[in-house]
Amino acid sequence: MTASATVSASAATLDVDVLVVGGGIAGLQSALEAAEQGRKVLVVERQPSIGGRMINLSKVFPTLDCASCITTPRMASAAHHPNITIRTYSELGPIRREGPRFTSTLRQKARYVDEAACIGCKRCEEACPVFVPDEYEHALGARKAIRIPFTNAIPQTAVLDMDHCTLCGLCAKACPTDCIDFLQEDAEIPVTAGAVILATGHELTSMAAKPEYGRAALPNVISPMQAERLLAPHGAYGRVLRPSDGKIPDSIAYVQCAGSRDASLGVPYCSRVCCMYAVKQAMLLSGSLPVADITIYYMDIRAFGKGYEQFVASARAMGINFVKAKVARIREDADHNPIVRIERQEAGGTVEEVRHDLVVLSLGMLPGADPEREGFAGVLRDADGFVRTPEAKLSPTLTDEPGIFVAGTAAGPKDIVDSIQDAGGAAMEALRHLRSNGLEGRP
Amino acid sequence: MNGPGTAPDSGLGEETEDVRVGVYVCHCGGNISDVVDVKELAALSAEYPHVVVAKDYPFMCSDPGQALIVEDIKAHGVNRVVVASCAPALHEQTFRRALQRGGLNPYLYEHVNIREQVSWVHKADHAAATRKSLALVRAGIEKVVRQDPLEALRVSAERRVAVIGGGVAGMKAALAAAGAGLAVTLFEKGPALGGRLPELGRVFPTEDEGAALSRRMEEEVRSQPAIEVRLGAEVRRVDGFVGRFSVEAGDGPPVKAGALIVATGYDPYAPAPGEFGAGGPLTVTLPEFRAALEGLTEGPLLTWKGRPIRDLAFIHCVGSRQVEGIHAPQADGKVNDYCSRVCCTATLQTAERVLDRHPGTRVYDCYRDIRTYGRGHEAIYERAARKGTLFFRYREDAPPTLVEEGGRARLRVKDVLTWDTEVDLPVDLVVLATGMVPRDIGALADSQKLPRGADRFLQEAHPKLRPVELANNGIFLAGTAQAPMTVDEACAAAGAAASKAAQLLLPGEIQLDPFIVALKPERCDGCGACLDACSYTGSLTLSGEGPGRRVEVNPALCKGCGACVAVCPTRALDIAGWGLDQFEAMADAIAAV
Ligand SMILES: Cc1cc2nc3c(=O)[nH]c(=O)nc-3n(C[C@H](O)[C@H](O)[C@H](O)COP(=O)(O)OP(=O)(O)OC[C@H]3O[C@@H](n4cnc5c(N)ncnc54)[C@H](O)[C@@H]3O)c2cc1C
Ligand code: SF4
Ligand code: SF4
Repeated sequence: MTASATVSASAATLDVDVLVVGGGIAGLQSALEAAEQGRKVLVVERQPSIGGRMINLSKVFPTLDCASCITTPRMASAAHHPNITIRTYSELGPIRREGPRFTSTLRQKARYVDEAACIGCKRCEEACPVFVPDEYEHALGARKAIRIPFTNAIPQTAVLDMDHCTLCGLCAKACPTDCIDFLQEDAEIPVTAGAVILATGHELTSMAAKPEYGRAALPNVISPMQAERLLAPHGAYGRVLRPSDGKIPDSIAYVQCAGSRDASLGVPYCSRVCCMYAVKQAMLLSGSLPVADITIYYMDIRAFGKGYEQFVASARAMGINFVKAKVARIREDADHNPIVRIERQEAGGTVEEVRHDLVVLSLGMLPGADPEREGFAGVLRDADGFVRTPEAKLSPTLTDEPGIFVAGTAAGPKDIVDSIQDAGGAAMEALRHLRSNGLEGRP
Repeated sequence: MNGPGTAPDSGLGEETEDVRVGVYVCHCGGNISDVVDVKELAALSAEYPHVVVAKDYPFMCSDPGQALIVEDIKAHGVNRVVVASCAPALHEQTFRRALQRGGLNPYLYEHVNIREQVSWVHKADHAAATRKSLALVRAGIEKVVRQDPLEALRVSAERRVAVIGGGVAGMKAALAAAGAGLAVTLFEKGPALGGRLPELGRVFPTEDEGAALSRRMEEEVRSQPAIEVRLGAEVRRVDGFVGRFSVEAGDGPPVKAGALIVATGYDPYAPAPGEFGAGGPLTVTLPEFRAALEGLTEGPLLTWKGRPIRDLAFIHCVGSRQVEGIHAPQADGKVNDYCSRVCCTATLQTAERVLDRHPGTRVYDCYRDIRTYGRGHEAIYERAARKGTLFFRYREDAPPTLVEEGGRARLRVKDVLTWDTEVDLPVDLVVLATGMVPRDIGALADSQKLPRGADRFLQEAHPKLRPVELANNGIFLAGTAQAPMTVDEACAAAGAAASKAAQLLLPGEIQLDPFIVALKPERCDGCGACLDACSYTGSLTLSGEGPGRRVEVNPALCKGCGACVAVCPTRALDIAGWGLDQFEAMADAIAAV
C-alpha cells in the first residue's frame, strides 16, 4: 500500500469477526445471521449499492412478491445493524491467513464524492448534462455521469463515473453540501477477520455466446435482465415495449437453456433458475399484455422447488404455450422481427421458422468471482468454475480453506430461497469456526 | 370526499399531550401509485386533525424513506406515525424500528395497508381506490392518536433447543446449535440416529456411502457434550410457548426448551396396488431397488430375486406431479401435485450404476421432464445417456402401462420424442421412481397447531425470505418435513434453522409484542364471563371472594385474541394497543369519508 493511494488518514484497520465478500442477498443474509448472534461483520461490495441481483429483479417466483419490496428491508436492516459495517464500491484484495485469522486489503474506489457529506439530494444528477446507458436498467434507459445508483440504493450516495465525466463542474456548483471532489483517489483499508464468507454471486452467460442466436446484435432479442426491467413496476419504460421501435409486442418467445447445458460453450451444467424465471416473466407479461401470445421453447421444464410445479401449472392454465423444441437459429427480418428456427421435439418433429416481435434468451449463470485468481487463501474453484465445496453433502458451505465459507450462487446456480438457506448454514459454520478456534473476542 | 372540518370529533380528553401525527404514503414503486393517487392522498391526509406532516415517497421501506420519518420526528416533533403502504406482515417491524431510531416509542405507530387491500384489488377504479385509501388512512390516524406508548413483554428463555427427528437434518441442526452455544436435546422416535440416510446407498453426486456419512455425523453428535440424544423417544405433544416449551417424548420426563426445530423428515410414496403394476413381481420402488443394488453380485446381467434382468425400465414421477382429473387422489382427496425434486437425479444415478455393474442389462428411462438441476446432476444425466440409457418421454395423461400378454411383460409407452409413437418395451423389471410424501406427525403438529401448505408439507412463514421459520413463534423447520430436498439442501436448511434458534435464545430473554389483555380492576365485578370465553387456559383467573372478586391476567399465557373483551359486560377488559375506543373511532372515521 502506498501512502499516495489513500485519500484520508482513515486507514485504521477494519477488524471484524466475520468478513462477508459480496452484498447480494446471500451476503446480506449471512451478515445478518452472524450479526444477530453478536458478531461484528464487514460486508464488502464491489458495486456502488448493496442488493446484488435481487434488487434488480421485477417480481420473484413463485410468490410474485415485488423484488424491491422484499429486498429493500433486508438491505436496510443490514445497513442499520449496529454490528454490521458495509463498504460499497470496494474491491477486496487477496485474502491471506495469518495465524488463526485472515487479513486482506480493501480498495475503496473513488466516488469523487465525500460519502460523509453527501445527503443524496440528487441535485448533482439533475445538473449533469452527460447521458450514459444505465447499467441498472441494462442499457434500456440512460443515467447521468454522476448519479445516485437507483431509487432504493443503499447507500444513497452519489457516484461519479470518471470515464464519462467531462469535468464541466455543473454538479459541483449544484451540490448544496459541496461534497464533490474531482481529485479524490482510491483508498486502501487493511482488514482482518476471524472467518470469511464468500458470497460473490454470479454473472450471466453472454448474449453472444451462441453465434446462431444473433451475436447480441439483434435489437429485439433481449437478455432476461432486460426483460426483468421491462416488467419492473418502476422499470425502464414503465411498460413493456420492444427496444427497436417502441412497439408493444404481440408475440414473445423465450429460448430456454440459451447458454447452459451445452458443453461446447463451457457450461455443461443446468443453471437452475432460468426455467422458473422464464415462466415467471411469461406470467407477468401475460398480465400486462393480455392479448399477447407467449411461447416458451424448452427441453425440460425444471420446476423442482417448493410450489414451483404448481406455479408452472398455473402458467399453463393462463395460456402460456410450452413448446418442446430446440432453437437452432435466430435471425431477423427487415423490421427487426426475430425469426426463430425451431426443431420440434414432439408433434411430428418438424423444423419451422416462427416470427415473433420480441425474443428473450434465457441465459444461464457463471461464477461471479474466481477464488483462485482473486487469491482467496486456499479456496479452490471446481471444474465448473464455482467455488469448490469438498464436503458437498453434509457441510455444503465449507471450502478448501478452513475458516472460509461460501453462500449463495458463488457455489453454483441457485434461486433466492436456496441462497438464503445457504446463507444461514454458512453463518452457522463461521460462528462454529470462531468458537472452536478461540476466536470469540477480537484482540 | 369530506374536507377537513367534517372529521368526527377526536374525542380525545383534555389531558392529551400535544399529539402530532406524521403520515407517509408509499408508492411501492408503482404497485400502489399506479392505482392510488398518492399525491392527493398525502394532501388530504395533511388536512386531517393532528396531522403535522404528510408525505409520499417511492419506497418508504428504503433507507431514504425511513430517514424521512426519523427526520420529521426530530424536526417537526412528530410523535405518532402512520405509514400507508403494503401488508403489515412485511414492514410493520421495519417502521417501528425507524420510530425507535428517531427516539419514539415504537408502538406509537399505525400501519395502513393500501396495497393488498386497495391498489391490488381495485385496479379498475382509481378514484374509488384513492377514496378507500383515505378512509383507511384516517382510521389509522384516529387509532394512533389514541395509542399509548407500550413496552414489549419480556419472557425469560430456556437456552436449550429441542430438535425433533434424528435424521441428517436433525443431526446437522443439533451440531450447529451446539456450535453456537446452545444446549440441545435431540429426540428420535426410532432406535438409531440417521433417519433415511443409511438406506440411500451411494448418494449423488459425490457417490459417498449414505451409511458412512450418517456414521460420521453421528460420531460428531455423540462427541458433543452439549447434545443429549434420546432414542426411542417419539414426541407426543408439546406444550408451552416460545422461550418455554415443554416437550413430552418417550418415557422420560418432559424436557424444557426455548425453541423447537422440527426435522421429522418424509415418507417415501407408497404406490397403490396396481399403480404402474405396483405390488406385482415385475415392479420395485426406487428406494427399495437402491437399497438392494449394492448387495447384488456384479456380472453382465443384473439378477433380481433369482431372475436375470435383460431389460430394466425406470418410470419417473410415480406419486409426484399428479394432475387432478388424471391421477387418483390420495387418502385425503388431494393429488400430489408437487415435484419430489430428488428422484430424477437419483434415477439416473441408479441407471448409470446398473450399466456400470451389469453392462449386459438394457436400461430404459420413461420421464416427463428430466430435472437434473443441481451441481453435478447434469453430468450424471449425461453419463447415464452416454452409457446407453434409452429415453422415452411420456405425457402426464398417457402414462406407461405394464402389459403382460404372452411370455414376456411389456411396458407400453406413448413416446413424445418419436412423435407419439406407441412403443412396446420388453421388460423384466420396472423401477418406480417414487417421490416423497409428507409425514404424519399428528400429535406433535396438533399440539402446537403447526401450519401445513396445500401440498401438506409443513409451511414456512414466507416461502422466499423466511424459509426455515414457521408462523409459530420459536418453532423452526429443517429438511424434508418442509418439502422434498437433497441431503446437502437439508443440511443447509438445518444450519439456517439453528441460526434462528440461536438468535432467539442466546440473549436469555425474548421480547414479545405487548398486545395482550389489560384489566381496569375498578370496573370488574367478578362475574367470570371472560373465563368461559377464553380458550387459553390459565390466562385469566378469578381471585377474592364476594364483592371483592376480581379477574387476574397471566401475561405469559394470554394470546391477545380479545374473546374476553367481547363478553365483558362492564368493559373492564381491553387489548393493549387495540382498544375498543380505538376501534370505535376508526369505524367513525371510515363512515365519515
Ligand atoms: C433474470 C433472472 C431472474 C431471476 N428471478 C428469480 C426469481 O424470480 N426468484 C428467485 O428465487 N430467483 C431468481 N433469480 C435468481 C436470483 O437472482 C439469485 O438466486 C440470487 O440473487 C443470488 O444471490 P447471491 O447473493 O448469491 O448473488 P448476487 O446477487 O450475484 O450477489 C453477489 C454480490 O457480490 C458482489 N461481488 C462479487 N464479487 C465480489 C468481490 N470480489 N468483492 C466484492 N463484491 C463482490 C457482486 O457485485 C454482487 O452484488 C433470477 C436470476 C436471474 C438472472
Ligand atoms: S433451469 Fe431450465 S433453462 Fe435453465 S439450464 Fe436448466 S433446464 Fe435449461
Ligand atoms: S424429480 Fe423428476 S421424477 Fe421426481 S417428481 Fe420431479 S420430475 Fe418427477
